[in-house]
Amino acid sequence: MNASPHKELERFEKDTEQCMKCGFCTYVCPVYQEEKIESGVARGKNELAKALLNGDLEMNRNLADRLYKCTACMACTESCPSKAPIPRIVVAARADAARTMGVRFPYGFAYRNLLTNRKLLGNFLRFGGYFQSALMPAKNGTIRHLPGFMAAMTKGRHLPTIAPKFLRELVDEVNKPRGSKSVMRIGYFPGCMHEFVLPQLGKKTVDFLTHHGVEVVMPREQGCCGAAAFLGAGDFETGRKCADLNAAAFKDVDCIVTGCATCACTLREYPHFLADTPERREAYAKFSGNIIHISQFLTDTLSLQASAFQTAPELKGKKLTWHDPCHLNRHLGIKEQPRRILKSLADVNYIEMPDASRCCGMAGQFSLLYNELSQKIARKKIASIEASNADIVVTACPGCQYQLLDNLARLKKPQQVMSLMEVLGV
Amino acid sequence: MLKPDVIKQLKKIVGEDSILTAKEDLATYAYDGTTTWSHPPDVVVLPTTTAQISAILKLANEKKIPVTPRGSGTNISGGSVPIKGGIVLCTTKMNRILEINAANLTATVEPGVVLQDFNTLVAKANLFYPPDPQSFLGCTLGGTVAENSGGPLCIKYGVTKQYVLGLEIVLSDGYVLNIGGTTVKNRTGYDLVPLFTGSEGTLGIITKIVLRLVPKPAAKRTLIAIFDDMTLAGSVVSKILANRIVPAKIEFVDNFVIRRIEEKMQMGLPVDANTMLLIDVDGSPAAVDSEAEQVLALLHEGGAKMARQAKDDDEAALYWKARSAGFAAIYSAARTVVAEDVTVPRDRLSDFIKKLDELSKKSGFAIVLIGHAGDGNIHPSVFTNSRDKKDLERLDETLTEIFEAALELGGTLSGEHGIGLEKKRLLAKALDPRAIDIMRQIKGILDPNGIMNPDKIWERP
Repeated sequence: MNASPHKELERFEKDTEQCMKCGFCTYVCPVYQEEKIESGVARGKNELAKALLNGDLEMNRNLADRLYKCTACMACTESCPSKAPIPRIVVAARADAARTMGVRFPYGFAYRNLLTNRKLLGNFLRFGGYFQSALMPAKNGTIRHLPGFMAAMTKGRHLPTIAPKFLRELVDEVNKPRGSKSVMRIGYFPGCMHEFVLPQLGKKTVDFLTHHGVEVVMPREQGCCGAAAFLGAGDFETGRKCADLNAAAFKDVDCIVTGCATCACTLREYPHFLADTPERREAYAKFSGNIIHISQFLTDTLSLQASAFQTAPELKGKKLTWHDPCHLNRHLGIKEQPRRILKSLADVNYIEMPDASRCCGMAGQFSLLYNELSQKIARKKIASIEASNADIVVTACPGCQYQLLDNLARLKKPQQVMSLMEVLGV
Repeated sequence: MLKPDVIKQLKKIVGEDSILTAKEDLATYAYDGTTTWSHPPDVVVLPTTTAQISAILKLANEKKIPVTPRGSGTNISGGSVPIKGGIVLCTTKMNRILEINAANLTATVEPGVVLQDFNTLVAKANLFYPPDPQSFLGCTLGGTVAENSGGPLCIKYGVTKQYVLGLEIVLSDGYVLNIGGTTVKNRTGYDLVPLFTGSEGTLGIITKIVLRLVPKPAAKRTLIAIFDDMTLAGSVVSKILANRIVPAKIEFVDNFVIRRIEEKMQMGLPVDANTMLLIDVDGSPAAVDSEAEQVLALLHEGGAKMARQAKDDDEAALYWKARSAGFAAIYSAARTVVAEDVTVPRDRLSDFIKKLDELSKKSGFAIVLIGHAGDGNIHPSVFTNSRDKKDLERLDETLTEIFEAALELGGTLSGEHGIGLEKKRLLAKALDPRAIDIMRQIKGILDPNGIMNPDKIWERP
C-alpha cells in the first residue's frame, strides 16, 4: 500500500513549482482581500503544500483549516503569470487531509451517507421540508429557514423550500422531442438543486429542449455530482462512489447536459482527481468529455438563433444583469454564451455589472465553515449588482443563486435572483 | 523562540485577531519574491494603528527582539524575509487612503495601501502617481517607499523618492517621528525623508506617507519595435535619448522572455523576434503625435526589422501586460534564477549587452534580458536547473562578473530592487568603504540595539 500521507498532493508536485511568489494573486483573491493574511491567498497555500511535500510541516487541523479557506474561484490562476493551478493543488491537499484526519461532523456523515444514496437524500430532504412548512412561517416569498439538523448545517441562512414533488416525479425517464424527428439524444443531469429544490426549472429545461427537437433522457440511476464531498471536503472515497454511479448511469446519449455550473465543472473533474485505476480513468474520461453546460449547449451545440429565446412574460420591461459563476467562467471558460442568450431577449434591458466575474463567496462548504467571511465577500458582489441598477441578477449556479438570494435578503435589497432557464419563456 | 510572556503582551497590543503564532501561518511569512531566501518568524503581528506599532517596537527594543517590516512581500531582494526570526510586522491591514488633495496635488496614505488600488483612485481624480514597480498588483506603498521602487516610467518621471514629501515613522524605541510635510519645497535642515525612503526597513517603520501627484497625461501612444540584433536595440535607445526625446517608457524584452510569456499566456507575441522594444510616449495630444513619429523614424533608421504604433488601447494594454508578466515568467523558468538589478549609464547599453553575451557563452549559463532599457536597468537574469553545488558556485562567479562588468561601464549594483539579502555580499565592492561606515553609524543612531530588519544590506563586519 502507498503509505505516503500526501499521496494525492504528490500528483501535483510539479504544479507547486509553478508559483514564483510574485503576489499578483493577492489582488484578486476574495479571501485575501477581506483578511489580508498570507495563508488565505494562493501563494501562501502553495507554500504550505510545498512544506507538506518536503516534510517541513505535517498535516493537522490548523493546516487543513487553511486549505478549506479557499473558494476555488480560480481568480488567482487567471491573474497568475505562470498560470499556477493552486486551487487544484488545494483540492488534492484537502483529500490528503480528509484521508488522514476524516471530514468533520456533521458534514462527513452527511456526504458519506446522503450524497451516495439518492433515495435516502430525497427522503431526508422531504422530511426536512415537511417540518419546514409546518413550523416555519413563510418569509420573503418562498424563502424560509430550514429546520433542525439542516439549520445547524446551514447556520440559519435563508434557503428556499424543499419542493413537494421532486423532478423525477415530474418528468419521464425518456422525453421524446415535440416535433417529428429528433436532432439529438442527450442525457440530462439536473443535479440536486434542480431535482429537489427547483424541480420546476428542471422541468422547464426538459420542455425547452424537447421543444427544440432534442430527445432528453434523465436516467433514474444518476446521483449527486459529489462537489461538496470531493472538491469541498476532499472526501475522494465518496467522490468516487458518486462518479461511478454517474458514469454508469448515462448510456447511448450524444452528450450530457446540465444547467448547474457546479455540476458541469465537477463532472468534468472526475478524471483529474478521482481516477485511481485504469478502469476508472477510462470510464471517467469518456463520461466527462460528454458534459456540457446548458448555456453552451443551446448557443454552440444547437446553434439556436436569438429568436429562439423568448422572454418570460413577467420579465418584460425589466433590467437584467449577469453574475458569472466561477465554475462556469474561469473553470470552464464559458463567458459569452449566457450573455448572448440574455442579450437576445426582447423587451428586457441587459446591463453588465462591474466585476461580474468576481466570486460571490458561496463555494459550498466554504460558506458553512466561514460564514462571516462568506458574507463579507458576498457584500462586494451585492454592491456590484446595485451599481448595475438592474432589477434582476441572472446566474446559472444554484450555489451562487442562494448566496445572492440570502445576502440580498439580509441586506433588505429589492433585487431578484433568477437562474438562466427561469428568464426564458417556453 | 519568543517567551510566552512576549506573545501575551503583543496580543494585548494588537488584539487576538491580529497576531499569528501557528507554525502553519508563520511558514507563510518566511519568504518574499526571491527564490532562495526563506526563514520563518516567531510571530506575525498585523497592527492597525501607529500607536500599536509604537507599543510593539518599544517592547521589541526592550527585549532586543528582531523586527522585520513587511507589506505584501512582493520585493525581490530578500528584504522582508525575517532571516533572524523574531517579529514580522506586517502592515497589510493599515490600508486606508486618508486623503487625495486635488488642489495641492498630494495624497496621504497608510503604508498597507496596495499600489494598484491607489492608482485606481488617483486616476478617478484625473491625477497620476508615476512610480510603477511591476509588482503593482500586490506591492504596498509602504514597501515601495522602503525600497525606493521604480519601474518603466522612471526614465521620464523618476523613482519613488521623487514623490515622497512627508513621512510618519516609528523609530526602534517606539518614538513617532514626523519628517517632511505636504509642501513640494521644504528646505529645513538635513532632508531626512530620502534617508528613510529606500532604507529597506532597517531604520524604522513607515506608518504614514504624503505623496506628490502629477496631472494625468492627456495622451499616450505605445510603439512596438522588433530587432534581429540585441545590440542594435541597445544603440537605438541611446540614440533616442541623444535626440533629446525622453519617452515615458522604453522597455527591452529578449527572445527567451517573449517565448516564455507566449507559452504561459498565448497572447500572440512575435515569438521569432530576437529583441522587442516597447515604448510609450505621453503628454499633450499634439506633442505625443510628433514625438511618436520621431521615435518611429529613429527606430527604422536604427535597424528595426519592424516598428509600428499599437493599433489601439487594447493592443497596447496586451503588450504591457506581457511586459509586467516578464519577471514571473523568468522566475518560473528554472530551479535557480537570479535576477540581477545592475544598471549602466544609458549610452553604454549596447556595450553592456555585448559583454553579457560573452559572459553567457563563457559560463554556459543562460542569461536573459528584460527590463528598463530607457534607464540602463535591463535585469540580466541568470539561471540553471542544476542542483550541483559546483554549478551553483560557478553561477555565483558569473553573477560577480556581470556586476563587475556593469561597474566598469560606470554602472551600479542595484537600480531598483535594493540590497536586502540578495546583493549584500557585493555591497563592499560597489561602495566607498567610508560611505558604508557612515551608513552604519546612521543605523547605530536610529537603531542602537540593531532590532530593525537585522542582517540586511551589510555583511557582518
